[in-house]
Amino acid sequence: MSNMIMASSSKTLITSSSIQSTPKPPKFQLPQFSTLKIRNHHHHQNNKTPILTLNSLKSSAAIATAAATVLTMAPPSLAAEIEKAALFDFNLTLPLIMAEFLFLMVALDKIYYTPLGNFMDKRDAEIREKLSSVKDTSAEVKQLDEQAAAIMRAARAEISAALNQMKKETTAEVEAKMAEGRKKVEAELAEALAALEKQKDETIKALDSQIAALSDEIVKKVLPI
Amino acid sequence: MNVLPCSVNTLKGLYDISSVEVGQHFYWQIGGFQVHAQVLITSWVVIAILLGSATIAVRNPQTIPTDGQNFFEYVLEFIRDLSKTQIGEEYGPWVPFIGTMFLFIFVSNWSGALLPRKIIQLPHGELAAPTNDINTTVALALPTSVAYFYAGLTKKGLSYFGKYIQPTPILLPINILEDFTKPLSLSFRLFGNILADELVVVVLVSLVPSVVPIPVMFLGLFTSGIQALIFATLAAAYIGESMEGHH
Repeated sequence: MSNMIMASSSKTLITSSSIQSTPKPPKFQLPQFSTLKIRNHHHHQNNKTPILTLNSLKSSAAIATAAATVLTMAPPSLAAEIEKAALFDFNLTLPLIMAEFLFLMVALDKIYYTPLGNFMDKRDAEIREKLSSVKDTSAEVKQLDEQAAAIMRAARAEISAALNQMKKETTAEVEAKMAEGRKKVEAELAEALAALEKQKDETIKALDSQIAALSDEIVKKVLPI
Repeated sequence: MNVLPCSVNTLKGLYDISSVEVGQHFYWQIGGFQVHAQVLITSWVVIAILLGSATIAVRNPQTIPTDGQNFFEYVLEFIRDLSKTQIGEEYGPWVPFIGTMFLFIFVSNWSGALLPRKIIQLPHGELAAPTNDINTTVALALPTSVAYFYAGLTKKGLSYFGKYIQPTPILLPINILEDFTKPLSLSFRLFGNILADELVVVVLVSLVPSVVPIPVMFLGLFTSGIQALIFATLAAAYIGESMEGHH
C-alpha cells in the first residue's frame, strides 16, 4: 500500500533537485517529466524545419497538452523511474526511533523524573511539616498570651490593693489630723468659753456691787434724808 | 526556437530557488536495511538536548529552586498534572512515559522550527524535525498502543477484554477497530501537522523571502506545541480509559 502512495505522491511532489538517478537528456537538467521528454522530442523535430511557424507552435501546444494528460496519467513504471519520493517509507528507522524513545524514557526517568520528583515531594512534606509545627507554636503563643494576661491581672490587683491601702492610710492620717485639729479647736473654744464665762461672772459680780452702790445712791437721791 | 530552452532555464532557476523537498531521504545502510539518516541525526540532537539540559538543571537540586531547576520543576508539575487529569490517582508509574512522549515530540517539533538546519547540507534530503517522518510518529504511536494494553491488562487481567463488548456485543467490531484507529490517528495527526507546517513555511519562504513567513513560523511554533500536547494527552487518555473500571 505504501508503495502505491509513494508512486502517486511522487508524480506531484518531485522536484528538480531531487532528480539524480535517471540518465539525463543532453540539453536539460530539468526533471524527466514525460512532458519534457515529449517537448524535447518535438524540439528535435523542429530542428529539421528551422523556421518556427505559428502552425508548429500550435502543434507544439497541442502536444504539450497531450503531454500534460500523459503526465497526469503517468504509468507506475515512469514513477518508478523517477526517484522515489518516499513519504510513507517504513524501514529500520521505525524500530530504531522506538528504541531511542525507550532509551530516552529510561534515561529521563533516571536523571529527571524520579530524582526531581522525589526531591519535590520531600520538600512538599517538609513544608507541610513546618506549617503544622507553626500551627503548634500558635498554641504556645496562646498560652504565653494567657500567661501575660494573668500577670497583668495580678499586677492590676496588686496596684489596686496598694492604692486602696494608701487611700486608707491617707484617710486615717487625714482623719487623725482633723481630729487633732478639732480637739485643739474645741479646747480653744472651751478655754475661750471659760474665759468668757469668767469675765461674765466678773462683770456680773462687778455689776452686783455697782447695783448695790447704785441702789444706795438712788435711794439717797429719791429718798430725801 | 530558443523559446523553449529559455523558459526551461528560467523554470530550472525557479526550481532551484524553491527547492521544496518532500519525501526525500538521506539513506544509510545498516546491515542490509535502509534507515533515514536525517531523522536519526535530528533525533539524536533532540535526545542530547533533553538529556543535557535535564542533567544540568537537576544535577544539584536546591530547596529554593534556581532558574533552570524552576523551569524543569514547572515542566514536571505540568506533566504530572496532565497525567493525573487523564489517568487518575494511579498516574505515578506513567509519568515517565507521558512526560517523555510530550518532551520528545515538543522538542522535536520546535527543533524543526527553530534550529537553522539548512546550514548543514546533507548529500540528499535535508534535516528537519524528526516528527516530520512517518517512521518517528508510528514509532511513538505503537508504544502508546502497547502501553494502554499493558495498563489495562495489569489492572484488570483478562477481564480487560470485556470492554470490547461494552456496552453491547454489537459494537465488538467497532471496538476492535478502535485499537487500530488509535495509533493510526495519533501518528498521522502528528506527521501531517508537522510536515504541513514545515512545508507551508518552506513554500512561503521560497515565494516571499522576508517578513511574510514570520507569522506562519509563529503559527508553526504554536502548532508544534499543541501537537505535542495533544499526543501526550491522548496517550494518557487512552491509558486512563483502559484502566478505569467499566460498568
